[in-house]
Amino acid sequence: MARGMTMRIPAIRPAAFWSLLALAAIAIGVLALPGRSYSGQDREQLLASASAQHPAGTDALGRDRMVRVSAAFLLSMGGAVMASAAATLAAAGVGTLSAFSPAALGSLAMLACDVFLALPWLFLLMMVRSTLPLTTSPAHSAAITFLILAVVGWPACARAVYRGALELRKSEWMLQARAAGLRDKQIMRHVLPNLTSLLIPQFLICIPAFIIAEANLGALGLGIGEPLPSWGSMLLELDNSPMLMHTAWVYLPIALLILILLLFEGVATKQ
Amino acid sequence: MTCVADMLRWIARTLMIVMMVAVGSTVLVRFAPGYLSDAREMDSRYGNTTRVELAAEAARSASLAQMLSAEFGGWTRGNFGISRQYDVPVLELIAPRLAVTGGLLLRSIAFAWSLALCAALVSSAGRNPSLSWQAPSTLLLAVPTAAMATLCILSDCGGPTLVMTLVVAARDFKFLDRMLRNAWRDPHLLQARAQGLSTLRLVYAHILPSVAPRLLALATLSIVNALSALVPVEVVFSVPGLGQLAWNAAMNRDLPVLLGVTMIMAVAVTFAGMNPDRAGEWQGA
Amino acid sequence: MIMRLPRLPIRFVAAALTAVVGITCAGQTASRLPGELAWTIGFDPKTFDPAKVDDQESELVRYLTAGVLLRFNRSTQKVEPQLAEDWSISSSGRTVTFKLRADLEFSDGTRLTAKDAAWSIRRVLLPATGAPVAEEFLSAAGVTVETPDERTVLVHLPRRVIGIGKVFDEIAIEPADRPSEGRLTAGPFVVADYRRSQYVRLRRNPHYSGPDSKEFGLPYATGIRLDILDNHEQEIRLFEHGEYDVIDSLPPDYFSLLKQKAPNTVRDLGPSLNTEQMWFNQAPGAPLPAWEKAWFQNQAFRVAVSRAIHRADLARIAYEGHATPAYSFISPANVAWFDRSLSVPQEDVAAAKAGLAKAGFRLIGGVLTDANGHPVRFSILTNTGNAARFKMATLIQEDLKGIGIQVTVVALDFPALIERMMHTQDYEACLLGLENVDPDPNAMMNVWLSSSPNHQWDPSEKTPATSWEAEIDRAMNMQASSLTDAERKQAVDRVQQIVADQQPFIYLVYPNALIAISPRLKGVQPAVLAPGLVWNVENLRLEGTR
Repeated sequence: MARGMTMRIPAIRPAAFWSLLALAAIAIGVLALPGRSYSGQDREQLLASASAQHPAGTDALGRDRMVRVSAAFLLSMGGAVMASAAATLAAAGVGTLSAFSPAALGSLAMLACDVFLALPWLFLLMMVRSTLPLTTSPAHSAAITFLILAVVGWPACARAVYRGALELRKSEWMLQARAAGLRDKQIMRHVLPNLTSLLIPQFLICIPAFIIAEANLGALGLGIGEPLPSWGSMLLELDNSPMLMHTAWVYLPIALLILILLLFEGVATKQ
Repeated sequence: MTCVADMLRWIARTLMIVMMVAVGSTVLVRFAPGYLSDAREMDSRYGNTTRVELAAEAARSASLAQMLSAEFGGWTRGNFGISRQYDVPVLELIAPRLAVTGGLLLRSIAFAWSLALCAALVSSAGRNPSLSWQAPSTLLLAVPTAAMATLCILSDCGGPTLVMTLVVAARDFKFLDRMLRNAWRDPHLLQARAQGLSTLRLVYAHILPSVAPRLLALATLSIVNALSALVPVEVVFSVPGLGQLAWNAAMNRDLPVLLGVTMIMAVAVTFAGMNPDRAGEWQGA
Repeated sequence: MIMRLPRLPIRFVAAALTAVVGITCAGQTASRLPGELAWTIGFDPKTFDPAKVDDQESELVRYLTAGVLLRFNRSTQKVEPQLAEDWSISSSGRTVTFKLRADLEFSDGTRLTAKDAAWSIRRVLLPATGAPVAEEFLSAAGVTVETPDERTVLVHLPRRVIGIGKVFDEIAIEPADRPSEGRLTAGPFVVADYRRSQYVRLRRNPHYSGPDSKEFGLPYATGIRLDILDNHEQEIRLFEHGEYDVIDSLPPDYFSLLKQKAPNTVRDLGPSLNTEQMWFNQAPGAPLPAWEKAWFQNQAFRVAVSRAIHRADLARIAYEGHATPAYSFISPANVAWFDRSLSVPQEDVAAAKAGLAKAGFRLIGGVLTDANGHPVRFSILTNTGNAARFKMATLIQEDLKGIGIQVTVVALDFPALIERMMHTQDYEACLLGLENVDPDPNAMMNVWLSSSPNHQWDPSEKTPATSWEAEIDRAMNMQASSLTDAERKQAVDRVQQIVADQQPFIYLVYPNALIAISPRLKGVQPAVLAPGLVWNVENLRLEGTR
């Protein structure tokens, strides 16, 4: 029996998993501290560096960076992880289903994917913005943005999954399974785990991509609106050289993002 | 014969996609907010002339059916329209930029693949994913492309190709590392190692062939990643390529130019996703 | 499963990396010719035809290449003869007479006569040309041009036009029947080369005959390269490398950065003529709930919002101190028209709250509520890509939270913004800037006349919606027709006072003019009027050349 037949669920690395939880708990703790708000502007302390009052300094409008990074971590990370999971699952679903469905249907699905990939979605986003009232609250706007990202983000991966799944169809163990009379439903259970080498990286790559895409959509009036902090906007501060000259604390969000992505990687890797 | 038939099928499919994309883009752009407005309306000196231009555009684009038939009619005569923003034929705008962007894409994807493949070969041979390989690629994933380009400008080293290469390589590495890791663990490979085959031989004779089919799947993702990095890279480095043109056209609602660019995108995407002959395979299975 | 690292790929990686870095480290700008000046323009000029100029970039190219009868001196703000030796306006104000200088030539050495001048003026006036400048003649169709002799041009106007001299600053004299899109000019430079989205290259006109040009061999520079670049990071880096000679209108954060790196290159020229303002949508046809329109049309509400905004913070934080709090449309840089005695609603949060209470608004649980129980919340619309503006909006959001108003800030790209602002009127408040290219308030007629499409808070009114708008109309028309400067000043002061009382525009700051000049560039005399740094382009030269 080929090795693919054994179920391969990525074992969770406890250390990485618990570290992620701990980070989230710290973020919640920081937000829960009394007397701190993500929108409060200390206008006498602009771009300050670390002090007892502001442990990670302040941003250009005098807002506490620690509180803002914590809130943005929960908001952007939550949104991006969910959007990324949704997009990856959609890709897995569409990719495998079209690989295992009749040829015509599969080709049609991939045709749709290709069309989807080449369309200028920017304009759809503009239209979405124009149908929303301008007074849409920042939180709603954030939710809608991540939803759109999930909807727009899956086709590229779906096509990769489709190809992978086609390979699997031809593989020996699959033939054997079919010959042994396994039903499609049973076979499917073994397909997805075999595609993890496509799905997990896709999931991980989508997270930062979505976080940054959210901030870029700010240019269209979507995304996480002020005064809610957006992690993506903090990352985009890195392309503004005057900001880099002011304080090293602007690197905090990127450092944190790298740490979190590495932890996710750890969680998703077999021991 | 089958080769010709495949080719024809691919061309038909591409044509169909290009048509659908053209219709879709026209609808999206035409109904996006701001199609019939222009920043110069704000300037009292230029307001009136701009309003005349916009009125003409409004009359031209009043009916979607008319717009589409004019577009498709123009294409059959080899006329791809006149840019709204530059007032010159679209072909004249796109042709020189296509070469610039094509070169940039090809160079960076080629570099990225060699870089990612080499790095993944080395890293996947280790027992566990090692931080020294994962951390740099994660760093490259996390830094926004525009920020990476700006940092290049700030530190005065590297250019568009370097940034594109790094962006694509980091993403490809994530996939390749996992694929190769699986490949190294194959029982027949373990046995080959036990028999004392050289590592190099193993790589050429077993690892690469075993992941080759998956590499095609990766090609799609590479091209899509490269295309999405194109706009920020070209805009920040002010490379006179298609990404910069597309961005300007989007910001000016320049429909004829956008149609040209999206059609090229569509061809690139279908090319990347050239499907193996699905029907034949179905029968073979 | 212990594996040794394969050795070869490491060498591969190293080689690949070196190759990548090596190949990708190429420079990008076109090389500079000796004695050539260089700076950037944001976008491609839309046209090189001087008559059809309808954007800033084309206007700059026209300024640098065109030979004009009169030049509006950007520093003294007076009209001076250029190709004309002398000029006069008849006492009725309806005939303008130009006497051309002797021995004028175009850049190809052919003679420039009154015939060419008359042809160029007529071309601009023709409706078929579609020249934006024609509108400044008020009734272009009735204008006639005569050439009694080779050196005299008479322009007859159907009615008097305030500041007619300045209009001729925008009319390029081209060879009759040979329009050349800037390649054949009587100005200091000619268009030599244009690479779309890369650069425009101008070459010195050896036959240039402006005042003093023959004597001193003007222009000094052998040419100009205008790089098309809309990216401050690149611009600053190349400026530091000596690739560019000037940077006009630096954003405040980049100004500070450059000040750190090269302190002797940057200069803050103080308040510019431009204003940043916020306004509420008062259009009766706007698709907004009736109660919102009622707030926005309520003077007390507008004044209270204006009083609650901390303008000093906007200038200090959003502009890093490089802006001046504003209360009126005339900047202190505009010495002739600035009104020192203007009484304005000063910033005062307590007074704002009191004013709102008096107008029937109440604070319920920290939320401002109108008399009918609607909580006061609105959005501020602004454009993307202007960091200072976005920061101001966020600061105002926090300021207004202090009086119980919940504000959302939305940034849109320009076409989408303009559509909402000028076409659908689907917005509540807007924060934008106004660039003033002309210190004379007559140039702002389009903003203040209630019938104008650029009357932003309520565009294209059929009849003035309020008595104060009617009064503004009267005062603006008065300044446009009045013959004495004192009367005009009085009328404009009156408009300023009405605007300060009614706050249709809530003025926020006058951004300072921030510039950078390379130490190698000699002869610069910065002016606040466009093209501020290069208005005396004939006299600019790089150190060590000529």
